[in-house]
Amino acid sequence: MPSIFYYAYMQRALLVGFLLALLVACLGTVMVHKRLSLIGDALSHSSLAGVALGLLGGFNPVIGAMAACVVAAFAIEGIRKKLGNHSELAVAIVLSTGIGLAGVMSGFVKSSADFNSFLFGSIVAISKFETRLVIVLAVVVLFSFFLLYKELFYISFDEQAAAISGVPVGLVNAIFTILTAVTVSIAARTVGALIVSSLMVVPVAGAMSVARSYKSTIVWSAVISVSSTIGGLVLSFYCGLKPGGTIVLISVLWFLLLHIWKWAAGAKTIGKGA
Amino acid sequence: MLQKRTRKLKKRLARMLVLSMMAGIAGLGMGCRRGFGKEAQGKVKVVASIYPVYDFVQKVGGDQVAVLMLVPSGTEPHTWEPSSRDMLVLEEADMFVYNGAGMEAWAEDITQSVQNKDLMIVEASCEVELLKIDHDEDHEEDHDEEGHHHHGEFDPHVWLSPENAKIEMRTIMEALKKADPEHAEIYEKNFQAASQECDKLDAEYRAALSPYEGKHIVVAHEAYGYLCHAYGLEQIGIEGVSADQEPDAARMREIIDMAKEYGIKCIFFEELVDPKVAKTIADEAGCQTAALSPLDGLTQEDIDSGREYFSVMRDNLNSILKAFA
Repeated sequence: MPSIFYYAYMQRALLVGFLLALLVACLGTVMVHKRLSLIGDALSHSSLAGVALGLLGGFNPVIGAMAACVVAAFAIEGIRKKLGNHSELAVAIVLSTGIGLAGVMSGFVKSSADFNSFLFGSIVAISKFETRLVIVLAVVVLFSFFLLYKELFYISFDEQAAAISGVPVGLVNAIFTILTAVTVSIAARTVGALIVSSLMVVPVAGAMSVARSYKSTIVWSAVISVSSTIGGLVLSFYCGLKPGGTIVLISVLWFLLLHIWKWAAGAKTIGKGA
Repeated sequence: MLQKRTRKLKKRLARMLVLSMMAGIAGLGMGCRRGFGKEAQGKVKVVASIYPVYDFVQKVGGDQVAVLMLVPSGTEPHTWEPSSRDMLVLEEADMFVYNGAGMEAWAEDITQSVQNKDLMIVEASCEVELLKIDHDEDHEEDHDEEGHHHHGEFDPHVWLSPENAKIEMRTIMEALKKADPEHAEIYEKNFQAASQECDKLDAEYRAALSPYEGKHIVVAHEAYGYLCHAYGLEQIGIEGVSADQEPDAARMREIIDMAKEYGIKCIFFEELVDPKVAKTIADEAGCQTAALSPLDGLTQEDIDSGREYFSVMRDNLNSILKAFA
């Protein structure tokens, strides 16, 4: 069997996969706690509308995608505040708008190749430019994430209490919204929307079943997310499975195993107690 | 007082906004209507499914027919589906020509649900000797199974060999003669001219490619079975017979290794499929990339700039020769 590290495209896939898995897990932890778990879906579809706009308007589609993502993310924030108890509807509304706009505008785009390349990024076909872009993105996002760690932690659990105790909620939310939007728009183009939107949620769900604190939730999410990505790439390389789907399914497997483990552990302690 | 006025203003603004949105949608709907225009009067109204068939109908029908293409130009036909507007066009047409052999998965649905009783339905590939999709060669694993879901067991890209193009044009000519016997002679004449052009193209391909018999070409998706079969080449497809799928890492490795083993100099991509994967493989194996058109959807710009079946086929020949040189 040839070594997985022998091929440059696999080296890039492993590196980019590792970095994005880490990023998305960190962002996902905050998003899930803010009850916006489907934000990855909504943003990646909105970025598609931005791509179409870019192709139609004659400007760079990558910039179109980022701009659309940022607008969509702020729209979610705005609508979320108006809806109160039903804040999760904000994501659904923006998701629908994104799909609708992308669908209508794709009808006016002349060449389907341009369009599809943004819809289906593939983790095994990453260019050198994209690799560099992801490295820069990773540095910026991880740095801000740790810098704002305490503020984000507070906001994730209770926004109002955070505001009362002096956290600049508006500013922190805005920074975080932009970071998420930019990450999703780049990641969707690089590895595909499926991986981004799934890794934002499933690892966090798995982590929450075993982790005892906010910090350990982040650590567990990152471990699950990274190991699923690397595992999926290895399986794809040696067994010929489609990488995107495999990565997502491994993370779901993690979720199931952790839940079973928790249930078994719970049963044991109850048994002891009785 | 002031409050009341602002409220009134707001109400008026909202009303205007809603009205203008409705007007906009209605305007869009009206502007989109497509169909046979006035210039189609007195001509045979033909709806063709995809570009090669559309071009063949034009070549044989000449000025006597008005042709509309169902799959819009620049669209990958494997993923296209007809809308209700497309069905309307069929209701006023005289003839529907499609390639067949599994190319248009939706053709059967269309022909069954159309209410136009006088519509003549022509499968252009019906006289062509179809090639089976081979599962053993270049695919040790059967992972291309899923790619064939709407393709069936035959390779539908028949028009990529000039010999088959001629057969398809003959089928179309016979159909046009039946539909419009008055102009039978013109159709016969047009067909003869196009058929000679096919022979010429075939001779060019044969002469140019004969030194390279048994050579391999790496293509985006396995559309070139008939072309390779006719001129003794072998195709290695990054994807199976249908385009637009994510490759897996193992298949990429296989192709990179094969490209190195066979000393391949060029990886071909298609204009309608993202070249990202082809470029990644080319970088890795140290080769170049070039476009090779399977002709299944020319862009409108291509059509406007006068590209058609014969010129694209000649461009393809040049690209293949460059890859071998």
